[in-house]
Amino acid sequence: MIGPSSQAAVPRDITLWEWLSDPATWTGPDGIWASLQETVLLCAIVVAVATVVAVPLAAWLAHNRRGEIGVTWMVTLSRAVPTFAIAGLLVPVSLINGWGFEPWPIFVALLLLALPPIYLNTYTAVRSVAPGAVDAARAMGFSERRVLVEVELALATTLIFAGIRVSAVQVVATEPIRAFLGGDGMGRYVRDGLGQNNDTLLIGGAILVATLAAVTGLAFGLLERTVLPEGVRRLKTTRAR
Amino acid sequence: MLTQAAVAQDRNPIIRWDYVVDQSDDIIAALLQHLELTLISVGLGLAVAAPLAALALRYRWTTSAITGFTGFLYTLPSVALFALLVPLFGLSRISTVIPLASYTLLILVTNIIVGFRSVPDSVIDAANGLGLTPARRVLGVQLPLALPSIITGIRIATVSTVGLLTVAAIIGQGGLGRLILDGLRRAFWTPMTVGALLSILLALALDGLILYLGRAATPWARRAAS
Amino acid sequence: MSALGIRLDELTKTFAAEAPPAVDALSLDITGGSIVALIGPSGCGKTTTLRMINRLIEPTSGGIEIGGADVTHRPVEELRRDIGYVIQQVGLFPHRTIAQNIATVPKTLGWDKRRTSERIDELTDLVGLDADMLDRYPDELSGGQQQRVGVARALAADPPVLLMDEPFGAVDPIVRARLQDELLTLQSELHKTIVLVTHDIDEALKLADRIALLNVGGRLEQYATPDELLRVPANTFVEQFVGEDRGVKRLQLSTVSQLPFNQGPVVALDSEVSEALAVMDVYRSTWVGVTDQNAFAGWVAGQDLRRGGDLRGATRYPPAGRVTPASTLRNAMEVIMNSNTSVAVIDDDGRFGGVVTLEAIRAELGLSGADPVTGAQV
Repeated sequence: MIGPSSQAAVPRDITLWEWLSDPATWTGPDGIWASLQETVLLCAIVVAVATVVAVPLAAWLAHNRRGEIGVTWMVTLSRAVPTFAIAGLLVPVSLINGWGFEPWPIFVALLLLALPPIYLNTYTAVRSVAPGAVDAARAMGFSERRVLVEVELALATTLIFAGIRVSAVQVVATEPIRAFLGGDGMGRYVRDGLGQNNDTLLIGGAILVATLAAVTGLAFGLLERTVLPEGVRRLKTTRAR
Repeated sequence: MLTQAAVAQDRNPIIRWDYVVDQSDDIIAALLQHLELTLISVGLGLAVAAPLAALALRYRWTTSAITGFTGFLYTLPSVALFALLVPLFGLSRISTVIPLASYTLLILVTNIIVGFRSVPDSVIDAANGLGLTPARRVLGVQLPLALPSIITGIRIATVSTVGLLTVAAIIGQGGLGRLILDGLRRAFWTPMTVGALLSILLALALDGLILYLGRAATPWARRAAS
Repeated sequence: MSALGIRLDELTKTFAAEAPPAVDALSLDITGGSIVALIGPSGCGKTTTLRMINRLIEPTSGGIEIGGADVTHRPVEELRRDIGYVIQQVGLFPHRTIAQNIATVPKTLGWDKRRTSERIDELTDLVGLDADMLDRYPDELSGGQQQRVGVARALAADPPVLLMDEPFGAVDPIVRARLQDELLTLQSELHKTIVLVTHDIDEALKLADRIALLNVGGRLEQYATPDELLRVPANTFVEQFVGEDRGVKRLQLSTVSQLPFNQGPVVALDSEVSEALAVMDVYRSTWVGVTDQNAFAGWVAGQDLRRGGDLRGATRYPPAGRVTPASTLRNAMEVIMNSNTSVAVIDDDGRFGGVVTLEAIRAELGLSGADPVTGAQV
């Protein structure tokens, strides 16, 4: 039978506060820190891969005014894809091909979830960069590559960052299903709580998961504010999320 | 732990059709349950979204608060919401429907507001000038014109609910998601594949159905502008 | 329904307590069956005043009477069904067909299908639409056609009063001129009481029986017929608003038929050459016109006559243009400018109707004290 790596029993009458303040909860291979690392690692890789794939592709297509149909695909993808079902579907596929049941199914499913916001925002942002700026750059002798990188991408950065932020929050919020598909991560406490009929674990797990999603959003927001140059941040693009 | 060899057995391919035929009753039951819960969730979402949108339309200054609130609800992880409701309502349909309905609020409220705000002022002015009562104006003029946007919202909400509902299997609900988890527990792939495929197909089918119904209800939107 | 007069009595509208009133105690008497234009600079409250008549804006104080009855307390939707309302952007319902749009008020009033459909056919004829447009949707029609539908929709229940807010502002000048002409034709058949808001003084001059010129705050600067407004502006504001070319504008208001008959330097074809020369002298003209059996037959150059010969044999030149009694003085002036003879010949249904000279025009406008015939100062 496929099961999680280990399922530590937690006394049912323990209160939430007691559980959280017990150091044993946090340390060790089943501890919160370990789970946090697992989750953050997977999510970070997913978002990084999605960014590396989507941003250049969308930027290049938008720059050349091509690939409108790709936008439609992405929109459909973002709406119709049931991440849990895809991950579930990929488990047997992955196993049969000898790739194990973790992490490929959940990785691919989360990647599909992460791509649309980044792709769409990048495409829209590059597409709606003021043509005047692009013309001026070309007139000054910039090569197409320089126009794309130094003008269009620079001006589009706010929207792109917003897309990455939305994507990251979505991925982090959805990652807990991993615990139900044979993996662990921050979702394990909810899983264990359901399995053991333990309300403390349930609620504690839920709060941990929700807090992580919120913190992710805030962290990216903060990152945007510090990393992006003032001039770029002040630009109001037509469709900021 | 499963070994590769065990997995490669003939009796456990990606999908075993005899199993599908055999268990068709169960599969159909899961599908129907999935459909039912989807409709209830979207229906509940619509019932809550309509008054919220009406509020934002009537009192413009509430718009950002309402949008912010529904947006916040949207970012809450589904696993967390299900988990929080279980202690309150148990492993029941209520624990399923409430989170799913709250996820639909953002898109429904947004699209209802956008739909109504897109009605040209001149049309509203003309309607008043012709002596239509406020009720007739809202129901007979503004609502039909807001319909395309509202129906798009319902489409998006329905499709994403179908997907999210699969997760509800973790609390024992969730129709097709149950098949997925079942298969996982028994290391038997067919129900997993069937559950996953059907949920994707259901989403696409509902999307197409609502799109078609929407077009039928708004004949004027189809004709090209001169 | 016969036309009803509208009376505004000290009509006032204040929007914000501290701000000056948008319309300050405006009193206006609109005769039933006439077209009155409300015109003025932006902020003069003309649209606000119009919208108070059908209470799309409720007056702060003051009275409105239509047909002698006070309408300020009537149930507002009922009132509006008795008043036609046409706006610049038309506001046709995009989700209803043309026929359904026109039928809006009749449907609200509970007319049966046959009556409604007959009325729609009537209106389609009246406003100049094609019957095959009835099942189309508004966005399939051009701007001019849409506005025609807007007018038909406003007139559907045959209201005695029609309010129009810059109705022709959104169409191009050619279509606008045509719609204006059609409105005048319509009015000659229907005799509605029409209140028209416009910012275009030429439109007001062309369409209105009387013009109410408003200043900021709804102050009535002058309420007069177009001709009076141009001839005797009440003050500097009015003068400046109607523009410096008042005289030229007046040319469009009067027709040739208003001029007294002027034979001009024209003689019958079988007259003596001496008679022709004498007439040319009186009019100080180098040309003489000839008529043949009471129809104008052309111009003869004076120098041709002096070389000898008679009228009949002389070379005749056609006139540069002709005007009819219905032509405006402006048309006549165009022709005069274009002709070598400086005189326009009036063609009264094929017969010679006299001539129009520059002096006659100026005299008609009261611009000179010269004799219209001889041009000599009186």
